[in-house]
Amino acid sequence: MPSPRTPFAVKSSLLVLGAIALLAAAAFLGSALTPDGSSKARRFSVSETASKSVPNPLAGRLSKVYGTNIPASRYGTEVADLEDDGTNTAGEQISELSPLPAAAFTVPENEYRTYSRRWIARAHAEAILLEHALVDGARMAAMSAWEETWNDYLHLGAVYLSGEAAVANSAIDGTPGEFPGGATDPRFTGLHRIEIGLWGGQSLSSLIGLDVGLQHDLAKLSGVVARVEITPLEYATRSHEIIEDAQRDLLSGMDVPWSRQGVLGTAAGLAATEEVFHTLEPLLSGRENTEGEVRAELLMLNEVLASIRARHHGRYPILSELSIYERERLNGYVAGALSALEEMPGTLETKVRSPVPKLPQPSPAERATEAAARKVAEREL
Amino acid sequence: MSPLDRRQFLTRSAALIGTTGLGGVAGAVAEAQSQASSPTQTTAAQARQTLANELATRVAFDAEHQAGILTPAQAQSSFVALDSLAPDRSTLVAALRDLSTRARSLAQGDTVGAEELDDPPPDSGILGPVNAPDQLTVTIAFGASLFDGRYGLHAMRPKGLERMPNFSHDNLEPTRTHGDVLLSVCAGQRDTVTHTVRELMRSVAGHLTPRWRIDGFQSARRGPTPANNPRNLFAFRDGTANPDVDDERLMDELVWVQADSGEPAWALGGTYQVVRTIRMHVEFWDRVGMFEQQNMIGRYRVSGAPLGGRNEFEDPRYDLDPEGKRIPLLAHIRLANPRTPQTADQRILRRGYNYDRGIDEAGNLDQGLVFVAFNQDIQRQFATVQTRLEAEEMVDYITPVGGGYFFAPRGSGGPGDWVGSGLFV
Repeated sequence: MPSPRTPFAVKSSLLVLGAIALLAAAAFLGSALTPDGSSKARRFSVSETASKSVPNPLAGRLSKVYGTNIPASRYGTEVADLEDDGTNTAGEQISELSPLPAAAFTVPENEYRTYSRRWIARAHAEAILLEHALVDGARMAAMSAWEETWNDYLHLGAVYLSGEAAVANSAIDGTPGEFPGGATDPRFTGLHRIEIGLWGGQSLSSLIGLDVGLQHDLAKLSGVVARVEITPLEYATRSHEIIEDAQRDLLSGMDVPWSRQGVLGTAAGLAATEEVFHTLEPLLSGRENTEGEVRAELLMLNEVLASIRARHHGRYPILSELSIYERERLNGYVAGALSALEEMPGTLETKVRSPVPKLPQPSPAERATEAAARKVAEREL
Repeated sequence: MSPLDRRQFLTRSAALIGTTGLGGVAGAVAEAQSQASSPTQTTAAQARQTLANELATRVAFDAEHQAGILTPAQAQSSFVALDSLAPDRSTLVAALRDLSTRARSLAQGDTVGAEELDDPPPDSGILGPVNAPDQLTVTIAFGASLFDGRYGLHAMRPKGLERMPNFSHDNLEPTRTHGDVLLSVCAGQRDTVTHTVRELMRSVAGHLTPRWRIDGFQSARRGPTPANNPRNLFAFRDGTANPDVDDERLMDELVWVQADSGEPAWALGGTYQVVRTIRMHVEFWDRVGMFEQQNMIGRYRVSGAPLGGRNEFEDPRYDLDPEGKRIPLLAHIRLANPRTPQTADQRILRRGYNYDRGIDEAGNLDQGLVFVAFNQDIQRQFATVQTRLEAEEMVDYITPVGGGYFFAPRGSGGPGDWVGSGLFV
């Protein structure tokens, strides 16, 4: 005869069953909310597993999809399904989400302008300290001030510039490759020209004039930034281009062969990206899962950079000081962040793509030319 | 050489070698065919036969123009820039003669000789006892630095040969740029190229020393028709609008230096060679929307047709699209070749290769294009086109890191001659 269960055993069994039930619920919710890494085309697991009658779990904090009259409660189920199939709620062919109104970018861009001018002012103040160090003949102090100035400047995320802003940026942060004469070209000025001088052993007094010019260019840029026109596409693109540039030019060492401060520059680029992302978050709400994916990836990259900084006694190491472990993690999480950020321009699209006009049917003469070109290609076989 | 001549020559060479130097290979293939019974065995035997035919194919080293310029691009390549250590003119002459002699022998196909057992073998032997020609071409060209004061060649410098400048957006690395001599080694198989580079460098050791090297490969022609061009590493078809190399008059207009050009006599029949090692930021590119990619190039990625068109070889008809509504005004194909009467003589003959050389410090793939172009006049042609291309949006996704300007003289006249001999007359 089985022995009767003790009250303690019954209690334990109930606890175990409760825990299992909680885990199952968590797993269900997790599968509904977690991006599906197996397919880039369908990033919502929910579109694969949930029925169309399941309400959007995010609906509690969102009322409607930004820029549309679509209730958020429908998002993640039928709207996402339709988008994944390339049709809108009217059954029309679409290439992306419903376009946002361009005016939606006014507030984010104004926030960004204010943010940029604040960092330009900081960079300008550091450039003055750099001048003092140069005048004092203190190379180590000058190197430190250069790092601070450059770090502050990179917080702008100065990419995708044109017109006056591009000219000013080239004067401040241009690299030798932009000039026909390379590093010795007299038009090559700014931070990297001073960097060559500091790390290349040039006399500090020879760099004072360059630093004064830098201060002038920074002050000029502040005025330009206040009035610069940025198209919505440029601003949305900026959100991933900043780290794209950091990966291509800084982590590779290409743009900083003298100071090797690629990690410092990448961290500053991340800060700029976070600011741009922060200003755009209201526009991203409810549009695909871009906001959540980007936030998660930026957080992980931030943590990696913070851990590297902590391991190196509160400062970012130069590229050659990174251990293999640190290097792999940094490279990997930068790539992860970029994979999430690549969705930003498409998610924030403001235009419906017009169909490409078709070429007219070729004339007999054009057909003959085509045939000749084909013949040339075949001959390569 | 006319197209017919060249094709007949290749065919005859293959047949000839099949009955002589490479008889062993052909015999083995025939044996394999006779034993093949299952479909799998038949396929394998056919593959071996194809390989044997390719290995037996010879491209003549001695000709009016050097091989490897109009020759259809082989699958594999290496570009090796060398600097001269020769202390005097006669040593340089000897080194250049040795280069041609060894290149001729390898392009012909030769057997690996034996020396005394205690001597180093005269050939590395990595291709076995027979060095099959395998469509090998070795194109020899000279950089501007060879014409400095060291060898008394200053007055002989081709008038358009200068040190390649830094174009906007270039990030040329000194260790990957310029050079006194450039060897373009191309063949069907990778091991043939590897062997050739090794043997050529051995033949000039102590006189010519390597400065930089880049290896390239052609993507396979994957159709849908045999005519469709292969793709570069941005996945777009490359070579679509190349001039017809069988049009001798066109080659005289665009490629070969002519008698009335004001060039030194030794340069006639030669051509300027531009090599650019162009890093392609492929991960960055892969994160760009298809719409943007196609607009940057001006063609559909899949078909290679110009935007709005239906097939790869269709005329983009820029005249019908003056505002760039169909193909943006700054699209690559529009800037590279505007297809106007005024730009017709700016066309260049491209013969590029993809490259793939590992990963960089940031963990990104170091892949790109070994851009190779032959032209009659660098300023009129390549430099003009390149300056136009500085405005294209694709510049964000590529970084030219090396290469140089070179001059490829006319071909060698025969076994007693060598490439560049006219320079020292």
